[in-house]
Amino acid sequence: MENLIGFGNGLLVALQPENLLYCFVGVFLGTFIGVLPGIGSMAAISMILPLTFYLEPTSALVMIAGVYYGAEYGGSIASILMNIPGTPSSSITCIDGYPMARDGRAGIALFGSAIASFGGGIIGMIVMAILAPGLAELALNFGPTEYFAVILLGLVAASAVSNGNPIKGITMVVAGLMLGTVGVDITTGAERFTMGIPEMRDGVHLVIVAMGLFGVGELIVSIRANAKGAFQNEIDYKKFYPSRAQWRAMFAPILRGSGIGSFFGALPGTGQTVASAVAYAVEKKVSPNRESFGKGAIEGVAVPEAANNSATQTAFIPTLTLGVPGSASMALVIGALMMYGIVPGPRLLVEHSNLFWGLVASFLIGNILLLILNIPLIGLWVRLLKIPYRYMYPTIIVLICIGVYSLNNNVFDVWLTLAFGWAGYLMRLFRFEPAPFLIGFVLGPMMEEQLRRAMLLSRGDATVFLTRPISGILIAITVILLAYAIASALRARRRARNVAAALSETEALSTSKKG
Amino acid sequence: MRAFLLRLRRNEEEARPPHAYLGALGGAGLLALSIVFIVGGYELGVGSLRRLGTGAFPVITGFILAVLSLIVIAADLRDTSDAERPDWISFAAIGAALAVFALTVGRIGLVPGAFLTVITASLPDPSLPVLGKFILGAFVSLACWALFIGLIGLPFAPFGGV
Amino acid sequence: MKHFLAMSAAALVFAAPAVADPGKWSDEPVRIVVTFPPGGTSDLIARVLAQYFESEYGQKAVVDNRPGAGGTVAADFVAEQTPDGTTLILGNNAPFTIAPTQFEDLPYDPMGDFTHIAYLGASTPALFVQPSSGITTIDEYITQAKGDGITYGSSGVGSITHILGKAVDIELGIEQIHVPYQGSAPAIQDFRAGVLEAYYDMVALNGDLITEGETQPIALAAPERSAAFPDIPTFRELGHDIVIENWTGLSGPAGMDPEMVKTINDTVAEIMQLEPVIERLAQFGVEHTPMSAEDFTTFVEGTITTWEPLIKAANVNG
Repeated sequence: MENLIGFGNGLLVALQPENLLYCFVGVFLGTFIGVLPGIGSMAAISMILPLTFYLEPTSALVMIAGVYYGAEYGGSIASILMNIPGTPSSSITCIDGYPMARDGRAGIALFGSAIASFGGGIIGMIVMAILAPGLAELALNFGPTEYFAVILLGLVAASAVSNGNPIKGITMVVAGLMLGTVGVDITTGAERFTMGIPEMRDGVHLVIVAMGLFGVGELIVSIRANAKGAFQNEIDYKKFYPSRAQWRAMFAPILRGSGIGSFFGALPGTGQTVASAVAYAVEKKVSPNRESFGKGAIEGVAVPEAANNSATQTAFIPTLTLGVPGSASMALVIGALMMYGIVPGPRLLVEHSNLFWGLVASFLIGNILLLILNIPLIGLWVRLLKIPYRYMYPTIIVLICIGVYSLNNNVFDVWLTLAFGWAGYLMRLFRFEPAPFLIGFVLGPMMEEQLRRAMLLSRGDATVFLTRPISGILIAITVILLAYAIASALRARRRARNVAAALSETEALSTSKKG
Repeated sequence: MRAFLLRLRRNEEEARPPHAYLGALGGAGLLALSIVFIVGGYELGVGSLRRLGTGAFPVITGFILAVLSLIVIAADLRDTSDAERPDWISFAAIGAALAVFALTVGRIGLVPGAFLTVITASLPDPSLPVLGKFILGAFVSLACWALFIGLIGLPFAPFGGV
Repeated sequence: MKHFLAMSAAALVFAAPAVADPGKWSDEPVRIVVTFPPGGTSDLIARVLAQYFESEYGQKAVVDNRPGAGGTVAADFVAEQTPDGTTLILGNNAPFTIAPTQFEDLPYDPMGDFTHIAYLGASTPALFVQPSSGITTIDEYITQAKGDGITYGSSGVGSITHILGKAVDIELGIEQIHVPYQGSAPAIQDFRAGVLEAYYDMVALNGDLITEGETQPIALAAPERSAAFPDIPTFRELGHDIVIENWTGLSGPAGMDPEMVKTINDTVAEIMQLEPVIERLAQFGVEHTPMSAEDFTTFVEGTITTWEPLIKAANVNG
C-alpha cells in the first residue's frame, strides 16, 4: 500500500512536463548512441553529465536513467543488424538476432526485441517498485563466496549458449577467463602478460574485444558473402509485425527472461551479462522450439532482451540503496547524485522518496516512449540493410574505429581491435564462437577477484563455498546443471552410436542378402 | 589493379576448399596460448590456498584450457567435411583499414583519417569504382565530423594532430 | 545537440562577460585532463573548476577524461603537450606521488616534465571497524590484530587507503590482512555483509553510516581533527605519527610562462573561496588550503619522498 502511494506520487513527479521532456531526451539520445558501435551508455551519460548540473536532481536522474536503458535498446539494434554488440549483454542477442536479419527477418527480430525489452523493462520496474528494500537486503547478503557461486553458475550457463560444438563453447569460455587475466592483478598490483606495454596495464577493454571479435570478424566474413549476394535481396522490409504464433512463442520467454533478469540485476556487477546468458541457457533447455535456437529463433532474441532490460532497471536498486555501482555507467549515476549532495544509501528511499519513486515511475514512461519511438523506426533500420554492402562495410569500419578510439582517445586501442578482429575471423574459420568467449572474458576478472577475496577472508578455508547457505545452494544448482548437460551429451552420443551400429548392421544384412 | 583483384578473387574461389581438419590449428593455437599462461603464471607465483598468488588463476584456467584444446584437436582431426574457404583479401584489407585509422587519426585528424580508412577498406571491392570510393570516403568522413565532433562533442581534432 | 543544449542552458544561467577578464589566460578553450573516468570525485571537481573558469572569468574550459594505468596515461599525455596553458591536468597522488615509486618504467618525470600550478585541497581517510566487534579504541584494535588477526578492505592495491593500511602496520607494529577492492563502495558492501572486519576510507563519504551506527570510526589520518567529524581522534593525537591525505592539484606541461602560472593560481584561489564551491567540495570531504605555485611544487616533491617507503611496503607484501 505504501509502495502504491509512493508510486502514485512518483507518477505525478515523472509526468511533470519538464521531467517528461528530459525522459524523452534521455531515451532518444540513449537509443541513438546505443546504435553506434562502441559508443555505449558510458559515453552518452558523460556527454549529458555537464548539462545535468543545471537541472533538478530528479530530472537529471530521470534523463541519465533514460540514456542508460535507451542505450540497452539501441545496443540490440546493432546486434541484430550488424552482429556488433553495443553492450556485452547484447552479445547474446546477436546469436539469434543476426541470423534472423540474414534470413530477411530483421524487421520481426527488431520488433520482437523492442517488445521483449519493453516487457522486461516493465517487469523490472514492477519488481523494483515492490521489492527494492528486499532486494537491497539480498545484495547485502552477498559476500565474495556468493558472488563466486553466481558467476560460476553464469559461466556454466554461458557454455550452453554455444550453438555449435558444446566442447568448443566451453573451450571459448575458459579461453575468455584466461585472457581476462591480462593486465594489472588487482589483488597484488603485479603486471600479468602485459608485455611491458603501459596501455595493457588495465587489461583489454571489453568494447575492444566485442568490436574485434564480433564486428570486425563478422565484417571480413560478410564482404565476400555479400559480393555473392548471399543475403540482400530477399528482405521483406515492410513486414515487421510478428504473426500471432510468434507473439505466443515470445510470451513465456519474455516472462521467464524478465524474472531471471530482475534477480541478477540486483546483484551489482554481474547483472545484465549473467542475466542474459543464464536466461538464454535456461530457455534453450525449456523452449519447445529449442532446436532452432542459434539459427534465428525469435525466442532467442526475446529472452536475452527481456532479461537484460529488466536487469537494467533492477540494477538501480544496489546503486541507489547501497551506493554500490555495478558498472561504470552506474558509477556515473552515483557521481551525478553526489553533485546534488544526495548520498546513495539505505536512507535514500526515506529521505528522497520522491526522487526514488519519480525515477521508478519514469521507467514506465521511458519504456513506453521507447516503444513509441522504436516501432516506427524499425522500417527505417531495416531499410539500412537495403544499402549495398560495398557502401556499408567501409562505413561500419570507420564507426568501429571511432567508437574504439573514443574509449581512451588512444590509438593503441585501435591496434588491439585489429588484433582481435583478425582473431575473430580465424575463430570463425576454425568454428569457434565469440559469444562464450566474451562472457568468459567479462566474468573472468570478477570471478578471480571474488575467489581470491573469499579465500583471504576465510583464511584459506575452501569449504566456505559449500557451508555458506546461499553459495551452497548456488553451487548445488551449478553442479546439477553441469551433470545434466554431461549426461544428455553422453546419451546423445550413445544414441548416435547405436543408430550408426544399427545402420551398418542393416547394411551388412542387405549385402549378405545380395550375396 | 582492378583486373588484378578480380583475377585474385577468381583464383581464390577456384581453389579447393580447405579440409576441416585444419580446424585443429585453432585448437593448437589455444594449446600454445594456454602453455604461455601456465608457464607465465608459475613465474608470477601461484601463492598459497589462503593467499592465491598473481599466477594462480592463469595457471588454473591454463590447465583447463590445455585439456579442452586437446579434446578439440582430437575432434577436429576426425572431421572429414570441408571447411569454410578463407578470404585473405578481405582479411588484409580490413586489417589495413584499421591500421590506416590508427596511424592517421592522431596525426592528420579525424576527417582525412576516416577518408583514408574508407578508401583502404573498399580497395578490394571491385564492384565500387574508384570515383565511388572517393565519394563514399568524402561522405563518410564529413558525416563523422558532423556527428561525432559537432553533435556528440567527442574531443577529436577534425584536421591536424592533437 | 550537446553543444547546443549545454550552451543554451549556460546562457540561461550565467550571462558570461564578453570583455577580456584578468582571470582569463588563453583565448583557446582549456582542456582539464582528468585521470579518472567521468563520475568520480576527481571528475566532479574538474567540472566544478571548468564551470567557474567559464562563468566567472570567461575562460572556456572542457573536461577530458583519460583514465588508465593509475593516472599515468593522462600524465604522460599532458607532459607531451605544448606548455601554453591550454592543457592542464587535475593531478593527484596516483600519477605524481605513487606512480614514480611504483612503476620503474614511468614515461615521465613527475617534477621535471610538469609545471605544478595550484593546490586545490585534500580529503582524509580514516580507519573503520565493525560496531559489533566491540572495538572502539586504537589499543583494542591493536590487541585484536595481534590476537586473531584482522582483515581490512582498501580501495585497491597501491591506493591511498592501502598505503595507509601499510603505514598503520609499520607504525603500530601489527600485521593486518589486506583485502583489496576496486573502489571503496564494494569494500563497504562486504563490510556491511559482515565478511570484512575493518576498512579504510575517506571519512566524508561515510557520514551516513557513522550516524546510523553501521560503522565505528577509530582514527583519522589527518594532521588535525576534521570540522565535520570532531569526535574522531587523529592517529597523531593517539601517539601514532600517521598522516596520509588524498591531495588534488592543477598542473601543466613543463616550461609554462610564470606570469600565466600566477594568473591560473590566483584564479583557482579565488574560485576556491566561493561559497558554493566550498560547499560542494565539502561533500567530497575536500578542504582547501591556499598555496603558491612554488609551495605546491615543493609539496608534490615532498610527498614523493615521504611516501616512498610506504608504497614499497605496500607493493612487496600485497
